[in-house]
Amino acid sequence: MSLLSILGVLSSAIFSGTSLLYSTLGETIHQRSGIVNLGLEGVMLISASSGFAFTALTGRPYLGVLVAAIAGGIVNLIFGYLVINRKANQLASGLALMFFGFGASALIGKSSVGMKIYPLPRLSLPWIANLDVLYSSLFKFDLLIYLAIPAAFCVWWLLFKTRWGLGLRAVGENADAAYASGRNPMRIRFQALLLGGMLAGLGAAHLSIAYTMSWSEHMTAGRGFIAVALVIFSKWHPLRAIGGALLFSGAVAFQLLLQSSGVKVSPFLLDTIPYILTLLILIIWGGTRKNAAPAGLGRVYYGGQK
Amino acid sequence: MFRKNKILLILTTLILVVSMLAACQAAPEPTEEPVTEEPETEEPVETEETEETEEAEVEEPETEVVEEETEEGPCLIIGALHGGPINDAGYNQAMHESVMKIKENIPCVEIIEAENVPEEAGATTTMQNMIDQGAKMIIATAFNHQYPALELASQYPDVVFEHAGGWEMSQNFANFFGEPPETWYIMGTAAGLMTETNKVGFVAAFPLGWTNTFINAFTLGAQSVNPDIETIVAFTFDWADSAKEADTTNSLINQGADIITMHVDSPSTVISTAEERGVYSIGFQSNAAQQFAPENWISGIGYTLGDTLTWLASSVMDGTWEPIFLRCGIGDGCMEMAPFGPNVPQDVQDQVLQVKDEVEAGDIVVFEGPIFAQDGTVVVPEGEVLSTEVMGSVDWFVQGVTGSPK
Repeated sequence: MSLLSILGVLSSAIFSGTSLLYSTLGETIHQRSGIVNLGLEGVMLISASSGFAFTALTGRPYLGVLVAAIAGGIVNLIFGYLVINRKANQLASGLALMFFGFGASALIGKSSVGMKIYPLPRLSLPWIANLDVLYSSLFKFDLLIYLAIPAAFCVWWLLFKTRWGLGLRAVGENADAAYASGRNPMRIRFQALLLGGMLAGLGAAHLSIAYTMSWSEHMTAGRGFIAVALVIFSKWHPLRAIGGALLFSGAVAFQLLLQSSGVKVSPFLLDTIPYILTLLILIIWGGTRKNAAPAGLGRVYYGGQK
Repeated sequence: MFRKNKILLILTTLILVVSMLAACQAAPEPTEEPVTEEPETEEPVETEETEETEEAEVEEPETEVVEEETEEGPCLIIGALHGGPINDAGYNQAMHESVMKIKENIPCVEIIEAENVPEEAGATTTMQNMIDQGAKMIIATAFNHQYPALELASQYPDVVFEHAGGWEMSQNFANFFGEPPETWYIMGTAAGLMTETNKVGFVAAFPLGWTNTFINAFTLGAQSVNPDIETIVAFTFDWADSAKEADTTNSLINQGADIITMHVDSPSTVISTAEERGVYSIGFQSNAAQQFAPENWISGIGYTLGDTLTWLASSVMDGTWEPIFLRCGIGDGCMEMAPFGPNVPQDVQDQVLQVKDEVEAGDIVVFEGPIFAQDGTVVVPEGEVLSTEVMGSVDWFVQGVTGSPK
């Protein structure tokens, strides 16, 4: 194992962790407002396919990212109509949204399968550009990667340092009490869903437009669910989500390194390392009163008409 | 309080289930990989015969075309179904283009095509539908299509079924396919001549018999021109998880590989990623892969079964069709080498083309003993040749491969 391969694990963790981080942040926001969206996988697929299709058609990756974010926001608003206005069960609606996403994304992305796009440009920092190309290409990131950690801080600031964030968390804990103190739980939940969907859309855009430079059906391959798991893992805190996303994708990169360095362990077993690690950490951390889930998570808010 | 716990419980359970599912996706379901196993049931002698007759008969339908076109309706309706999208720049695109070649060669045929039919149940209804529309020939190109097609073949004795890469046979069910191992050997020599680090990366989906055979053939080819070569292998455990493919490609490059090749459904992510990192790449499945590496492309191999399928279709039309276990290689035009990239020096090109000629002429036999496995045991003794029957169940890597084959 050389220096290059160890730095490579770090680089891979950053590259593939970015899409996870954005979607985890998105899910954190609306879970904080009391809404579980298990359909994140579907939201990501629709964003990834529409962003990719737009980029393939117009050749403008940055606009493609924007389209993906908007698509994510819109899909989440549809979900919001179901669970907020129609008061449907969140878990069931989320799963339905996921299957909707499978079909809709396949339709949107159909004509752009196998297309070559101009991906999101990778920009080099000055002192890294001077290194050997093998090393410099490790840390030549696109704009979405540079913005990922600032985005996490931004979400943290929004949730914990602003009045809007206070209201949002209040709605997530107890919507009736928040209503009594003059907040509009329905509006806040819609806002949370819109913002969360757009963040998930950014994550999906990074996956299709920047990292893999391709679209294929089911390309998120469970990353939407991993993001939901990471929300619990990071105990509904946006800054801990950074660690969670890096740890998970770092584990994926690490097991690939083990596979290709000739370790005499079955690759089938090595491939499960990231998932086992996630399970172990969830088990070890357990739940504490201080870091518990928002009390109103998954609850339907009936408004005045009880 | 109780409610909250319940919701959390449900949520955690769901996530556990999903993570388990994700982790356990090891069950290889090669929707588009008909090459997974294929114990040959017939002697290769048969194959030779077909090739000769092919040359003679392929021209024939074209004279018929003129007569048929004046008549109302198509002269033959062909139903073709694929496991994935036909524009994937990979296996499905190669198969789609082969099927379309029939239409090009025999304009009076009508082709009904269905894509994204990965499952057995879907395949049955799709083929049933095609037969209801008057199809007299069915071409099924995905691994999972074999048994549904065989089942329908017994129900419709007047419809001819051809499956890509299968092994079952009946009186109206047969199969056809290219022979990739020898072409992998040729690609190996190209890699062996081009590498500077003596490390070549191979991104594979699953450690299946045929994939292992490809990796071995590739490595043997590379070793024939460069004995110090090391092939590093890593598996993604999915035929089409492009993010994992990007992770894997990067991981292999970080291990020092300066050439990347792959055996997954679509070459697009692997080859784009290699190009982005400034590393050479070699394509497989469809030669459309070259578009993803304008700079650092070495070469590639794709399936080009158009003429073979044309010949099969024409034999269905004139009633001379017979079930044959058909395998044809690069010399028969069933596989094709992609053009070299702009950075491949002329002397390397010449050397690779010479190896190609020798393979086509049969002077090079890829799996000729003695061949040693990673741990040094003899897997093919001196004087023997690895038979095609066992290539589909190879669970060893040759010396010089880093990675675990099972």
